[in-house]
Amino acid sequence: MQNAKDTFYVTLRNRLATLNPNRTMLLRGVQRPGILVEEAEAVVPMLPADVFVLRWTALTADVNLPLVLARLDCEILYTTGGTQPASGLDRGRALEEMDAELLSLLSPNCAPKMNYTQTPPVQLNTPVFWSAADFTPVTTLRDRLSRSARVTVFAYQEPGEL
Amino acid sequence: MSTAAVTYTTPTTPLTRRVRAYFAPVVRASETPTVFDPSVSGRFNLDAPPAPWIDLGWITNLSRKSASTINVLNVGSPAAPQVQMRELIGATVSFRFLTWRKLSMALSAGSEHMNLLAPAAGAAANGSGSKGVTAIALIAGSTATSLNIPSASLSSFSAGQMVVVDADYAGQTGYVGSGVSAAYVQSAANVNNDPDYVRRVSFNVALVSAVTSTGLTLAQPLLAGAPASNMKVQVIEGFVDREGGSFFQEWSALLVMPGEQGERILYYYPRLQPTGGAQEDTETLLAPLEWVTLNASFRALPVIDANDGEQVLCFRSFLPSPMTLI
Repeated sequence: MQNAKDTFYVTLRNRLATLNPNRTMLLRGVQRPGILVEEAEAVVPMLPADVFVLRWTALTADVNLPLVLARLDCEILYTTGGTQPASGLDRGRALEEMDAELLSLLSPNCAPKMNYTQTPPVQLNTPVFWSAADFTPVTTLRDRLSRSARVTVFAYQEPGEL
Repeated sequence: MSTAAVTYTTPTTPLTRRVRAYFAPVVRASETPTVFDPSVSGRFNLDAPPAPWIDLGWITNLSRKSASTINVLNVGSPAAPQVQMRELIGATVSFRFLTWRKLSMALSAGSEHMNLLAPAAGAAANGSGSKGVTAIALIAGSTATSLNIPSASLSSFSAGQMVVVDADYAGQTGYVGSGVSAAYVQSAANVNNDPDYVRRVSFNVALVSAVTSTGLTLAQPLLAGAPASNMKVQVIEGFVDREGGSFFQEWSALLVMPGEQGERILYYYPRLQPTGGAQEDTETLLAPLEWVTLNASFRALPVIDANDGEQVLCFRSFLPSPMTLI
């Protein structure tokens, strides 16, 4: 399943770098596209603003197939307080911009599955594909607006795959 | 001297999760099915069926129906049943294939199943595929998993392609196809005397895993085994079946239910012919994603049981779980 998770993240990261090169963050001293995998970073008390955070949750597997089909639920969380020049009054617009960006990042809803544990990465035989985003209502906490979108990522487990 | 006391359990209701399907060719000219002997092979490894059975994976919605009828002869006054007789024997079976491949498509559609030959440049368009690129003759020494071809032709192939391997059509009538009777030719004119016709319907297909300096390495063995010297290879793009056609596929089938306690139920149909046309079913995975499965339905045809000369349609075997009272 790790190949599917890695592929999903790298696909969205690369698409974000193209779609909005200005959405970046400084993480562990490196400037990078504004998207991260929560379980692969240090634990923080509060989600970083203006970046997409991938949180892997449920896992189910259909074993009644020639290849096991894994279904991984990914919660994509994002929060914004708007911009400083606008004193946060544009936080609604900023959230809407992230909504639209996320929709674009998820389309097309498939990508060749890669094994990123090897250098260079190796393309596997089956693709990773995912459902449409299921958005939650906005939540407001003080000056921040937050939303999440649930996406189910599907991947066949190829012989010998992790 | 004594043996250890045997512990045993009383029989329980068989519990199974799924059914696995295997098919094997019937020699059509003589109507000779592939025999499955449960006393010899009943406990076979489900991932490695005995030759020549082809694993078509897990199936769903299995439905077996008996169409046999029994009548009674009433005698006397008032009449009372004295004798029963079997008036008719009949059986049907239906299920869904979870995977699409050459054989499952052919069994689902029931009639001729065609390979889409890689089209020749400028060939006239046709619903079941146009004329193919010229076939390449094999060189001696080819096996079921490697094809020797002239070095000048190697550039026509690449890993990942699908190929069909079979002889040229040479004007014969009757069943054609290596390894499997894939179609019945009524006259050479019907098939335009096309040298590619046999390769168009043949089940002798495989995926190319590599192109070497001497030929092609196949990812799966050819169904007909090592190619004959008169066989040629052509690239195929996919498969096509049709609603219609006069040919009936006929195959031997083996359906296996592995039980949770180690028991096994096997249904062996020596001769099955399809009763329906090409139909699919869909099942929602997560809207709007839907599985597309192949519906297949068959009528069982009879064979003679060599043990007693009886005419039968299906054999149901039960191999009990270990140490269970019988």
